[in-house]
Amino acid sequence: MPPALEITDLRKQYPTGTEALKGVSLTIQPGEFFGLLGPNGAGKSTLIHCTTGLAQPTGGEIAIFGHDAVHNYRDARIAVGLAPQELNLDWFLTAAETLDYHGAYFGMPKRDRKERVDELLETFSLTEKAGDRTRTLSGGMKRRLILARAVMHRPKLLILDEPTAGVDVELRLELWHYVQKVNAEGTTILLTTHYLEEAEQLCNQIAFINHGEIVAQGTSTELSSRYGVDSLEDAYLALVGREELSRAHIAEGEEEGAA
Amino acid sequence: MSPGQIRFFALVRRECNRFMKIKRQTLGAPLLETFLYITVFGAALGSRIKELHGVEYVVFIIPGLIMMSWATNAFSNNSSSILQQKFQGAIQDQLSSPASPAELLMGFSLGGFLRGMTVSTITFLVAFVLVDLPVENPLVLVAGIFLVGFFFSQLGVLVGVRAEQFDDVAFYQTFVLTPLIFLGGVFYSVTLLPEPWQTISHFNPVYYMINVVRYGFIGYSEANVALSLVFLAVATALLTANNLRLFRRGYRLRA
Repeated sequence: MPPALEITDLRKQYPTGTEALKGVSLTIQPGEFFGLLGPNGAGKSTLIHCTTGLAQPTGGEIAIFGHDAVHNYRDARIAVGLAPQELNLDWFLTAAETLDYHGAYFGMPKRDRKERVDELLETFSLTEKAGDRTRTLSGGMKRRLILARAVMHRPKLLILDEPTAGVDVELRLELWHYVQKVNAEGTTILLTTHYLEEAEQLCNQIAFINHGEIVAQGTSTELSSRYGVDSLEDAYLALVGREELSRAHIAEGEEEGAA
Repeated sequence: MSPGQIRFFALVRRECNRFMKIKRQTLGAPLLETFLYITVFGAALGSRIKELHGVEYVVFIIPGLIMMSWATNAFSNNSSSILQQKFQGAIQDQLSSPASPAELLMGFSLGGFLRGMTVSTITFLVAFVLVDLPVENPLVLVAGIFLVGFFFSQLGVLVGVRAEQFDDVAFYQTFVLTPLIFLGGVFYSVTLLPEPWQTISHFNPVYYMINVVRYGFIGYSEANVALSLVFLAVATALLTANNLRLFRRGYRLRA
C-alpha cells in the first residue's frame, strides 16, 4: 500500500514573497497517528493547505495514498478529511445541513448521507441542535461539528489542524477519545497542535517544523534523546531556542535561589 | 446520480438554500422594488405618456424591468454569496472537495441565475395578468433573457472572487451596474434623447440587452436584434471563459 501522505521537496512562496515552506519532505504511513509540531508561522497550516488544495504549492510533490494532490486532485481529496483551525462554518446552514452538503460535495448518495448525518450528530452530541443554524452554536459545539464534518465522507487520512485550541478539558478528552477510536479503526491521522502532552498522548510519530523546514522526526522518546533532554516539551523548547523556559531549568533556578 | 452530479447539484442547492433562507431580502425586496417602479413610472408617467412606439408606456417599460430584475439579482446574489463565504472561510469546504474548477464556477453562478429567474418570472406573471403583456418573439425572448441572466451571474462571480471587502461589491453595484442599467433605456426610448446622449447610449452594452428583451416581448427594438444577440453570446462566453481561467488558477480563492 502506498504511504497515506508522501510529501517531497514541497515549496510554497506566497505572492508577498514569504517563503512558508522551503523543501519539506515527509512520509506518513497508513494507520499512523502523526504529530506535526512547531511554533506559530512555522509552516504547519501552509503544509496542510497545500495538501488539501486550499493553497497551491510552488514546487515539489504531494501524494495522498499514491494520488498526486495537484494533478489527480479528485482521488486525492476524496481520501482526505480536514478539520481546520478556524471555525469556518457556513452561517446559512444548520448543523445537519453542514454535514449533508459536505457529504454531497464528496459525492455521497442521499440515503448514505442521511444515515451518516444522524450517526455523527449522535456521536458528537449534536442531535438536538440538528436544525439550528451554525452561528447560534456554542464554541464547543462548533468545534465538534467541524470534526464531524471532516469525517463525514469517511476519509482515509484525517487532518486535524489544532483541533483542541480553546476548548474545555471535557471536550478535549472527548475529541481525543474519538480520534483515537477512528485511528484504531484504520484512519491515518495528521495532527498539528501546540499542546505537547496532546502529541505525546496521541501520536506515534512526531515531526518538528520550523521556518518552513522539517528539522527533526521520530517518536517522542527519540526526539527527547536527540535534543539531549528528558521530555518532548524540552525538546520543543530546544528547537525554538527557548531552553530557559524549561520547567526543569526553572525548578533548578528556584532551588539555587532557596539555597 | 453519479458522484459528480450529486456534487454539482449540492453546489447549486447550497446557493439556492442561502437565498431562500433570507427570501424577504433576496426575493421580497426586489419584487417590491420592481412593482414600485411599475406603479410610479407606469401609473404616474403613464398617465402623461400614453403610448411609446405603438404600445402603452407601462408595457414599454416592463420588459426592461424584468431584465433589470434578473440582471441585478443574479449579480448581487453571486457577488455577495462568494464574498461572504470567503469572509467566513466556509468556502474552504467546497474548495477542498473533489469539485473541479468548472463545477465550482457553475455551482456559484447558477444560484444567482435562479434567483434572478425567480424574481423575473413572478414579475412577468403578474404583469402578464395585470397589463396584458404580449410575447411577440418567444424564442428571442428566452435566448436573450437567459443570456442576460447568465452574463450577470458570471459578472457577479467575477466581482465576488476579486472583492476583498463588501465595499468592493457595493461599488460595482452602485457606480457601474445601476447607472448602466438606468441609462440603457429601461424607462425611456433612447430615440427620444437629444444628441450626444443618443450616440453615447449606443456605447452602453445594457442598451442592446434591453432592446433584445423588449423585442422578445413587444416586437420593437431600436438596435439590430440578431447582432445584439450575437454580441451578448460572445460577451457571455468570453466572461465565462475568463472566470474559468481564474477558478483554475485559484485566483483569490486558493492561497
